[in-house]
Amino acid sequence: MSSALRREQNRTTVSLLVPALAVIIIFTTIPALTTLSYAFFSWDGFQRGGFNGLENFQKLFAYPYSDQLFAALKHNTIAFVVIMTFQTSLGLLFAYAMFRIKRGLRLYRVVVFLPVIFSLVVVGYLWQALLDPFYGPVNQIITAIGLPEFAKPWLGDTATALPTLMFINLWRWVGFPAIVFLAGLNAINTEYIEAARIDGASEGQIFRKIIFPLLAPSLTIITVLTFIGAYEWFDLPFVLGGSNGSPAGATDTLALMFYRLSFGSIDSGANNVGVGSALGVLIFTLVGLGAAFGSKMLRKREVEQ
Amino acid sequence: MKLLRSKIFFQGVLIINSIMVLLPVFFLLNSSLRESNDFASTPFALARDPYWENYARVWSEGSFGSYFFNSLIITGGSLVLILILALGAGFVLGRYQFKGNNLVFGFILTGMLVPAKLAILPLFIQLKWMGLLDSRLGLILVYTSAALPAAVFIMSGFFRSLPNDLDNAARIDGASEFVLLRRVLVPLVRPGMAIVAIYSAIPIWNDFFLPLVFLQSPEKKTLMQGLTVFFGQYASQWGVLFAGLCLAALPLVVLYLVLSEQFIKGLTAGAVKG
Amino acid sequence: MNIKRFRGLVAALFAAATVVAPGASVASADTELTFWSWRTEDKAFYESQIKLFEAKNPGISVKFTPYLNTEYNAIVSTALTAGKGPDIIQMRPYGGMANLSDAGNFLPLTTAEVPALKKLSAGILAGAQGYKDKKQYGLPYAVSALGVMYNPDILDQSGIRALPQTWAQMLKAFDKVKKAGFLPIGNAGGNGPALEQLHATVGPTFYGGTSFYNDVVAGKKTFTDKGYVASLKAVADLAKYMPANYQGIDYNTARGLFANEKAAFYIGGNYEMGYFRSLNPSINIGWFPAPKANSGAKRYVGTWADGAYAINAKTTNKAAALKFLNFLGTKEFGQALVDEIAFIPTAPYVKINDPAVKEINRWRTTLGTPFLNVVGFRFENPTSSSILQPGFQKLIVGGITPEQLAKDVQTAVASWYAPQKGKS
Repeated sequence: MSSALRREQNRTTVSLLVPALAVIIIFTTIPALTTLSYAFFSWDGFQRGGFNGLENFQKLFAYPYSDQLFAALKHNTIAFVVIMTFQTSLGLLFAYAMFRIKRGLRLYRVVVFLPVIFSLVVVGYLWQALLDPFYGPVNQIITAIGLPEFAKPWLGDTATALPTLMFINLWRWVGFPAIVFLAGLNAINTEYIEAARIDGASEGQIFRKIIFPLLAPSLTIITVLTFIGAYEWFDLPFVLGGSNGSPAGATDTLALMFYRLSFGSIDSGANNVGVGSALGVLIFTLVGLGAAFGSKMLRKREVEQ
Repeated sequence: MKLLRSKIFFQGVLIINSIMVLLPVFFLLNSSLRESNDFASTPFALARDPYWENYARVWSEGSFGSYFFNSLIITGGSLVLILILALGAGFVLGRYQFKGNNLVFGFILTGMLVPAKLAILPLFIQLKWMGLLDSRLGLILVYTSAALPAAVFIMSGFFRSLPNDLDNAARIDGASEFVLLRRVLVPLVRPGMAIVAIYSAIPIWNDFFLPLVFLQSPEKKTLMQGLTVFFGQYASQWGVLFAGLCLAALPLVVLYLVLSEQFIKGLTAGAVKG
Repeated sequence: MNIKRFRGLVAALFAAATVVAPGASVASADTELTFWSWRTEDKAFYESQIKLFEAKNPGISVKFTPYLNTEYNAIVSTALTAGKGPDIIQMRPYGGMANLSDAGNFLPLTTAEVPALKKLSAGILAGAQGYKDKKQYGLPYAVSALGVMYNPDILDQSGIRALPQTWAQMLKAFDKVKKAGFLPIGNAGGNGPALEQLHATVGPTFYGGTSFYNDVVAGKKTFTDKGYVASLKAVADLAKYMPANYQGIDYNTARGLFANEKAAFYIGGNYEMGYFRSLNPSINIGWFPAPKANSGAKRYVGTWADGAYAINAKTTNKAAALKFLNFLGTKEFGQALVDEIAFIPTAPYVKINDPAVKEINRWRTTLGTPFLNVVGFRFENPTSSSILQPGFQKLIVGGITPEQLAKDVQTAVASWYAPQKGKS
């Protein structure tokens, strides 16, 4: 490379990277670090007191916060495992189905992705109405087909609330992995597949031996994004269960707990910014480590290809 | 594995999924066209005689027109900024080899880990200090910052997937780096820009929390922000409520229908190659 | 685009970002006050009242902005802590505002500036005072009272001639209603705060009302007291009279069951009446105080100051804000609040015309006892409410025993409330 070109590239690098970095540093990094620093101070309502070391963390790991913390962490983890398993495999199934058919493809591509673009407010109100235990169409259908014992208060029973939330999450998000996998499938050179068919390989073998390995990069992206999404799960539980994770904390998540500790609520009173921020540090560390690990795998795969 | 050979099976899977998606959507549309008072007892009844008044009511209530306009400005403004900044940063990170490339890339990715809600209080104080509180521009910058990491991630993937010969050919023709970016490469990454546009627009258009906190003047309110008040006011009038929901969802559905070809092409072309 | 032009663009963007001032409020002779609330349902009421105020006070205009109730705390506290926020703020009383008033966010009010305060009783004023400095930071506008609302028509059809006086009689009445084919109570478990109010209605007779309140506040008794445990059990006993699938029925649906005359009783606050009537203007509603636990016990009506108007300490329109606050303290405004939203007024000079509200207020003045959690224990986190609201949801489905729940509340409160420290 000529030195003139190098100099020009250096100038370009600076003038193109600096604006983007500046925006991120000013509006994301600095506020985030400030929040995290709150965890090391004592708080009186919204007034910051003195530095108090790890006291907020000690409180976070003592009753009653510890109970809430571990319950929430459990819910986040269940959400990650279940969403990862069902949402991703269904997404893959839909993608593969769309890959194999021609008729109606354009329509399916739009329909599959449609719920993803709905606002969460829309999705929340819609499903709340559909699942209303008294008037809701879902229970009316279940009763009408002769299974009244399955007409449950889906969002209100501590046993079904979290699974119901995960189902709604799946309904809303499954289009995302579906479209990403479809794109991955379309990028595969069809000559490999044709050759394997001519050699007499079954469709199952073709899927396992040729298609699935080539989808690995898509799978890694989905995994990392699902991980971040599941451990920062907030909007859907908040819209459907409020900041307490109703019923009885069955839908509580780490982010909900952070929100109610930071701000309190008009229904239950005072807040605790210090313990809330300590929880923020915990969430950030957890998600950061997980995502960093995932991204590393992503880059490694890229090299192998 | 006979199933995998059968197109009927795949059609069946997709038809079932379409029903699962479209039935609730139909319920939403149908309910928005019914008079509210009979909703509770007969949630299913078809709106044979569409009651358009619900929509008229939504539109006339408050200032839906102005909410709509504000949402368009804020979402549109953020998209323009996100696209410009992500094109630049994605180009540099995707095509230049330089010391610190990985470091900068990694730093930008950490931005994906921070939800704005986590930092709302310091952000508020900072915006106030910068004179950007109660300002659409302030909100646009916050949204841009939140969406930028993912956008840079996607765009750099696209730039990386383009062959190097393109650059060299353009440089031999005497093009500067900016001309190379604008004239040669930008047209080739248009599908990536469609992805960035849609992925960024969805959360920005649908967000109501940040506008609630950052915008105080009634004339600057966004659609989702206005809707939250509307819901409280009409808590028991389902018809009006559902009409409001439909109106709020409409613009993004239109945007998606318009961009969907580009979008699918974009995903196919290289986003998932990372 | 060459590099210079691009740089220019970027520079311009940032310049724009820092130069464009917020709102760029045009200086004018008129003062505009901003007024925040979480009562989205009262928007029309406040706007009509503000018109009356503006007609009498040319040069001052008021902009009323209601927010989503679940986000209200986050929005108000963020704005106030950062030194912004509206001129006038509607606040929840006691611990709902004490954190913010202790941080100096509200203007201390004097009776000279706000004469209406002179007319209010000490118990009501306490709802809007600082937790630490006990200064007056708000003008309380409504009192709430808890009791049992009933539908006389359904009681008639179920053959219930006399209103229940004791807990046993009430459960018997519920059985009769059930036999007649109606739902006994509309109350359900989908909403934690509503269950907490249910407990505050029927519970005091079990734990001994005001004397227990005083003892717990003084640290002489704890939440693990036998009477308190019995009051929790009473809530669990009501579960079988709730509608089928009660765990999942949300607040609006539950209230709708009573409003639409499917349920005979609804246990809760007087403030529900406005909602019932908005859903079903022709509904007939009666009211009686919660029955006594047994023939030897006393009846109580849970009560508290349920809201206050405060002024932002950093307001630049202090004079106008005080003028508006005084308007909110007038007889005319209080009267409208009572007549249109069916609130119980704080001021003794407001006349109650609604016979049901009148009846409630009569009982309240003779049987009143403080709403234990709201008046006493919402000042620091973990509040007793934050444990009890999800706790009741567990309790009514048998997921926790009353004894365990009582112990949980005690541990939580003892973690910050000095008189209870170290007690279990």
